[in-house]
Amino acid sequence: MILNRFIRWLGRYEGWFGGGAALCIGIGLYMGLVTSPPDYYQGEVVRIMYVHVPSAKTSLFAYLVLFIGSIWYLWKRDPVIDNMCHATAGIALFYVGTALLTGSIWAKPTWNTWWTWDPRLTSFAILFLTLVGYLMLRTFLDDKEKEATFAAILAIIGFIDLPIVYFSVEWWRTLHQPMSMSVRGISFAPEMLTPLILMSIGSSLLFSYMLMVRTQMLYLERLLEAKQGRLLSETRL
Amino acid sequence: MKRFYLRWGGVLVIGVIICLFGLARYQREVSHIPIEKFLDEKPTRAVRVLGMVVGGSLNRGGAGEPIQFTLSGTGAQVPVYYQGEDPENLRELKKLVIYGRWNPEEQRIESETILGVPNYGFVSWAYLVTLIPMTLFLFNMERKVALLYIMIKEEKVYQSEESA
Repeated sequence: MILNRFIRWLGRYEGWFGGGAALCIGIGLYMGLVTSPPDYYQGEVVRIMYVHVPSAKTSLFAYLVLFIGSIWYLWKRDPVIDNMCHATAGIALFYVGTALLTGSIWAKPTWNTWWTWDPRLTSFAILFLTLVGYLMLRTFLDDKEKEATFAAILAIIGFIDLPIVYFSVEWWRTLHQPMSMSVRGISFAPEMLTPLILMSIGSSLLFSYMLMVRTQMLYLERLLEAKQGRLLSETRL
Repeated sequence: MKRFYLRWGGVLVIGVIICLFGLARYQREVSHIPIEKFLDEKPTRAVRVLGMVVGGSLNRGGAGEPIQFTLSGTGAQVPVYYQGEDPENLRELKKLVIYGRWNPEEQRIESETILGVPNYGFVSWAYLVTLIPMTLFLFNMERKVALLYIMIKEEKVYQSEESA
């Protein structure tokens, strides 16, 4: 009930989220591509960071939303929350895919390889596969309630991977560099930090906006299916 | 639907403008030419030239003295006269981007800047590669929502069971 009310409250500001995301990403992209300086060691390659880091952070946040939503669904059995979880998984998959793709593009000139079985990369790929599995599961079953329950359980089990992704660069000596922004401090030049923060805020706002649109889309699809089913049964009668 | 297409038209225009700014900066500050092209044009304005420092050609003078070396491309070589800070990446057999101009009298490139890292220009374009699918994903979702509203209206979903 509380979550439902919160979702409805957020829905009222849908346009603001979309507009805010467009503004932050527009300015962030301009700064990242045009005004921010190249890195001393990485040169132009560093610019991919303005897409890669926000995508990676948002994908972790998206999975956290999916995890909380799944627990909430198993507890309350609220179809609105299930819709939201289904929507989150689709969007999270896009974010994880973007983070993997941009990371790979960055890795080629920096590590001289498109892919390596580094703990951060491998755990991120597992996250991608978990989300693919989640979305596949949502198409297999006819019983909507069973489908939602199994999907929620899968999302909860998959959450084990999230701390591994996040702390992998701390727990193991990996090729992937450690966190540049943590409680220990920020190791960024201010000219690079501003576009990165703007892109991160923009990415989070975009996720929220996409979540609202996709939840609405899934709800409307179900509504239409239900209505068409009702009309069909009336025609048969 | 008209408002929807107008909104997305605006997004497209802003996206194109940012790309054009990015392209202009890339051509102004990053792009470079190979030695062969440089020798064909022999520009007297400063340009960026990519080449490899020929083995055995690097001649470092004393502190504060100019450094001389030969830069080679796939089928041509050109002497370089560099006056500036001695960068740590200036080594033999190393690929470098030299920012300098042609001196027709001395028949060499005169430079004051050596750019450390090759530019990997494709990374700038990777922005588009990664952002286009995300944008299309959102566009498709919004379009579907708009169409679903129209379809539901036509199906009279909101009509109550009794009056249907």
